[in-house]
Amino acid sequence: MDYLSSNKILIVDLETGQISEDELDDELVSQKIGGVGITTSLYETYQDRDPIILGAGLLTGTLFPGSALGVISAKSPRTGHVTHSPFTLKAGMEFKYTGFDYVVIVGKSKKPVFLWLHDGVADIQDASEFWGTDVWNTTDSIRKSMGDDLIQTLVIGPAGERGSDLAQICVNYWASGDCWGFGKVFGEKNLKAVALRGMGLLEISDPEDFVDQCFEVFETIKGGAFAGKSGVEDILTAMGEKDAKEWIAPFVHRHSACYNTPYPTNTFIYLNENPKTLTEPTEQEPGFLINDVGALLTLKRAGLSAESACRVLKACAKYGIDPSAVAELSARSGQKDPDKIEQSFVDLKGTVSAPEGGKFSSWAPMQPLFADFDLSDESAYGDWWVRRQALAYLFGIHPIFANMAPELSEELMIEMFNKGTGLDLSQETLDQAIADVCL
Amino acid sequence: MRIDVDALKCIGCMACEMACGYHRDDAFALLASCIVVYRARDKKDYFGVVIKEEESLTIARPEGLEIKRIGVTEESSDSGQKKEADASAKPMLLREPCDLCSGMKYGPMCVKICPVDAISLIEGGE
Repeated sequence: MDYLSSNKILIVDLETGQISEDELDDELVSQKIGGVGITTSLYETYQDRDPIILGAGLLTGTLFPGSALGVISAKSPRTGHVTHSPFTLKAGMEFKYTGFDYVVIVGKSKKPVFLWLHDGVADIQDASEFWGTDVWNTTDSIRKSMGDDLIQTLVIGPAGERGSDLAQICVNYWASGDCWGFGKVFGEKNLKAVALRGMGLLEISDPEDFVDQCFEVFETIKGGAFAGKSGVEDILTAMGEKDAKEWIAPFVHRHSACYNTPYPTNTFIYLNENPKTLTEPTEQEPGFLINDVGALLTLKRAGLSAESACRVLKACAKYGIDPSAVAELSARSGQKDPDKIEQSFVDLKGTVSAPEGGKFSSWAPMQPLFADFDLSDESAYGDWWVRRQALAYLFGIHPIFANMAPELSEELMIEMFNKGTGLDLSQETLDQAIADVCL
Repeated sequence: MRIDVDALKCIGCMACEMACGYHRDDAFALLASCIVVYRARDKKDYFGVVIKEEESLTIARPEGLEIKRIGVTEESSDSGQKKEADASAKPMLLREPCDLCSGMKYGPMCVKICPVDAISLIEGGE
């Protein structure tokens, strides 16, 4: 695969320490497109060895609006089925430029390790000194040991090491869309983290046409339904939580976006500093980046103050546990004290909800945001959401942004695929690829 | 004409950085960009933008804009805080200076691609 690709699939056997590479075949891309299309195919190939697959969408890391998505696919400890989890911020983009399109991780390491992917090189490194530390300390330690603060990490904390079904693979210091317990899968493999740094280059089949189209789409989107909105609080408002902005406003520092995503889906709150501070805070850990809308909403509706809710979310990210699951179980028990909720992490168990029949993370709200997508009524949301998420996970579009930008149509995705790769994708093939990943 | 950045508007999406990289390489890559989002202090939510120009570095921080003449050593500020831009894979000083996307039909691509209009083209040289 010559375009929008590094043309490499990496296979890492943690049991033997062996690393090998395959080429990314044009035919596979023509049929499966990218993202979950190919991670699903790779899962089927290696399913006897309980693999966990990392990948990026076909458009991830390009100038196409919203192209921030990386994907993790594995069998969920919580459902027993193959499911898919998004990772965004800058990690999806960074993965795309590591020099690998997909990474298949099989086997179990004899000792704790982390996988270091950079510039087309993969190293299995000793993580014994990180084992037992929380998510934040692990990311700090990896960045310090490599001397690069821009390294992105997919990392587990104590929850994953201890085999909790609620364990989450976090991104750097923050939550991710892993609502499937993939943190436990990492832990079972003695895999503490995957560290990503990409300085690669992606060629484009028809660069001028591709970039022209990116700018055209961007111009259309920029004045679209989400114009003037930002952060998790405006998403909550769009979901009907009318007082969300007022609730959290005293703590909001800034909003930030995942890679090339025109809507800033992340809200940073300061808990130990004045949120109005503009200079670099002296406090090393002044607050927390909220990127899990569902968790925040559940905690709010359970009656927690904004400060308490944010303290819970921060504790979840350090421990590496799914904040949506914690929020749901805490709400069910009636517990509102953030310290007591944190103390419950060690033994926390329980059944939590997942998208109906879904393979995609409920991290993306199951409804249109700001725009109406011409849906007749709420009964149409379910099928619409699954297809929309499938599209996002194939092409590498931020899955929350996909729900607020109807301009990112299937026809447009097909056009971008063809301009970017020089291959010929049809609507029929796209329909089949979506059907394959939704089965 | 030169590029101006309002760091308070910036959402750190890096679209400007990738657009600049495309201008340099006719492909998607970040190593040659002369506009860079500094984002290493993510735990503090402290981010902004650095632009390499012919004779200066423009550093757009949340608290304001600073223009540093390349090659001129300055005394450290009274606050004693680390003020330089974060190290990146390819040091800023080794990168090509901004040419306002000379030869590109779009004009300066970072201005065009910024979703929050944090980047603009203003009158005046360095």
